Amino acid sequence: MGVAAETVSGWSRRRPLTWRRVGAASVPYLLVAPVVAVLGAILGYPIYSLVRLSFEKYGLFELIRHAGVDIGLANYRSVLHDTVFWHTLLRTVVFTVANVGLTIVLGTLLALLLVRVSGWVRLLLTAGLVLVWSMPQVVAVQVWYWMTNVQNGVVNYVLSELHLGNFFQHNWYATPFSQLAMVTTLIVWGALPFVAITLYAALSQVPRELVEAAEMDGARGWRVFKDVTLPIITPVLLILTSLSILWDFGVFTQPYLLIGQAHVNPSNYLMAIYLFEQGWFASDFGRGAAISLLMLVIVAALSVVYVRRMVRIGDEPA
Amino acid sequence: MRSRALVATLAVVALGVVAATANAGANRAQANKLTVWLQVDAQSGWPDVVAAANQQFQQQNPGWTVDVQYQNWGDHLQKFDATLAGGTTPDVIEMGNTEMTKYMAAGAFADLTSNKSKFENSGTWLSGLAKSGQYQGKVYGVPYYAGSRVVTYRTDLFKKAGITKAPTSLEQFMADAQKVAAANKGVKGFTPVYLAGTDWYSALSFVYDFGGSIATTHAGKWQGALGSKASVAGLNAFKQFFSSTAPASAATLDEAHPAPYDVFSQGRAAAIFGPGWYSCCVGTKYKSVTAQFVMPSHVDGQPMPGFLGGSDLAVPAPSKSQAQAIQWIADFTSTTSEKALQAKGNIPNATNLLGTSVNERAAARSWFVPAAKHWVDVENGNILRNMLAQILTGKLSVQQAASSASDNIASVLNQP
Repeated sequence: MGVAAETVSGWSRRRPLTWRRVGAASVPYLLVAPVVAVLGAILGYPIYSLVRLSFEKYGLFELIRHAGVDIGLANYRSVLHDTVFWHTLLRTVVFTVANVGLTIVLGTLLALLLVRVSGWVRLLLTAGLVLVWSMPQVVAVQVWYWMTNVQNGVVNYVLSELHLGNFFQHNWYATPFSQLAMVTTLIVWGALPFVAITLYAALSQVPRELVEAAEMDGARGWRVFKDVTLPIITPVLLILTSLSILWDFGVFTQPYLLIGQAHVNPSNYLMAIYLFEQGWFASDFGRGAAISLLMLVIVAALSVVYVRRMVRIGDEPA
Repeated sequence: MRSRALVATLAVVALGVVAATANAGANRAQANKLTVWLQVDAQSGWPDVVAAANQQFQQQNPGWTVDVQYQNWGDHLQKFDATLAGGTTPDVIEMGNTEMTKYMAAGAFADLTSNKSKFENSGTWLSGLAKSGQYQGKVYGVPYYAGSRVVTYRTDLFKKAGITKAPTSLEQFMADAQKVAAANKGVKGFTPVYLAGTDWYSALSFVYDFGGSIATTHAGKWQGALGSKASVAGLNAFKQFFSSTAPASAATLDEAHPAPYDVFSQGRAAAIFGPGWYSCCVGTKYKSVTAQFVMPSHVDGQPMPGFLGGSDLAVPAPSKSQAQAIQWIADFTSTTSEKALQAKGNIPNATNLLGTSVNERAAARSWFVPAAKHWVDVENGNILRNMLAQILTGKLSVQQAASSASDNIASVLNQP
């Protein structure tokens, strides 16, 4: 690559404005073209269809005839005037902050633990994390459901046996808060392995000398972490945070299956469930498309801060 | 910088979208294969009846196979919508009687009017069930079976408590339940009746028993009726019944998680109120001491009006094997099939087949949901379940919860 680049720049210095130079300049674009074409086909077209759908009245009647009716911005207006949408958005933002916060904090603590423990304990811990990671979401939901089952759940049994109170036939899904709290435990549990293992890898890049030097200067525990370790792992933390925001904001499988279709209602909707209920269940696909595009914009807005910082760090000279 | 950040943001978002876009597998239609969607009730309750119909169909149509795909009530409509969009619908679909109207109105089903005579007993179809499959005078759904709701109970526990005959009034049932509870004080987690609090099929029976209803039409508009005096009286009676006989922990549970018959088979309840086929799954231990009685009304000697649940079989309009689909439905709803369904505790689809079982006696008084295009949205929006949870947990007063649900229902039903 280096040789080729040199040759190219050599030519361009001697003979400016020839077809060769134009050809050489287009090489990067040609190289990126296949990716752009594939992305355009598998992502661009569906998104184009989604945008078009969001401007149409497209219900069951239209679905069977494969033809919608253009209604302009009516779908967007109806969503933005729906108080359920705004309540759901607020709930989802709080839910996302709680989930991402818990995931990152607990993940960091686990990663720090991984650095400190002996070799075989680390192996055991990592194996456990990988097992958690490899568990399909639907299976995890079922296991959670069994464990927290009101009739014979092991959680109620264990808590009662430990004399932590009377948990006999305690219903863990009685209120919207408790429903979403149970979903949070499931999501954070499932997200921890990726965060912990990635952060462990990042922590192994922290030069030992720096930590030792800081300790020589009298810094301890939290201070060392805050002033030495944290700045070095920040890029990784930013990537993990922005990915977690994307995942948690649009989460569907865990809340829908764990709370259960019979119990999702406007008092516990998250955005993806609101979209599913309003778009699919009510067979109002045009409105569903409008909701999903609004979600897309919101997620982009939520993550723009992190992505900007990420790019800035990438631009800094090493 | 700014543009790079934007591009990077879009790229990350795009990745998220790709990851979140799950694709449902399509049902490729195959030559000489009839695809039938039945609900899991058939799989767990009467697979032999399905097998017999398939066999008969294959004898009439050599070279054809029947692919029966069992569906869940919770998501079968979403899957059906997806197949309508993709043009890969099944050839026969079982629809709940409350789900039919919306799809008939949208033109999702083939018109079966001219084929009606091909179905045995079509002249005497149960009128309530037949109506659910008809729209603007045309037949789109063939009645499959109906089910009423009865009380399934433990005869041994009732006897032990000194009760010798089934209660004939609601008040007596509640008094009997107290006796059963007193006789089983030592059993941990035992309640005389197990009932899921948000089981609206059961709860609304109390409403209809007291002369209330869900909604009524007035000058072409739907009006919510749950906030009416009669409806609130019914809901109060339900609350009283629930709190004196059923476990408080079940106030926000639904009738599928856990299944009431599972609680029953674990010996934790002496009675459950639900579909007649609940007797299927009471456990081998209690099979011989399980019987059923008609849920009594608050008026002595009358049955409480029960929800007349039921299913229809329809042929999706895009199906390319409509003639075969009609034949399969005819086989599956033949007198022989219906008699077999009856033997499993269901109500057959025609009046001339009706017997005198407890299930069929309970159907003497029944209620049905408003025949509105958007009714299914009320069901799926869990408006009634939410109302019941609010009532039973005491979050709202009966009147408050009922009035708010009533307004909600009216606005959903009156959508264009």
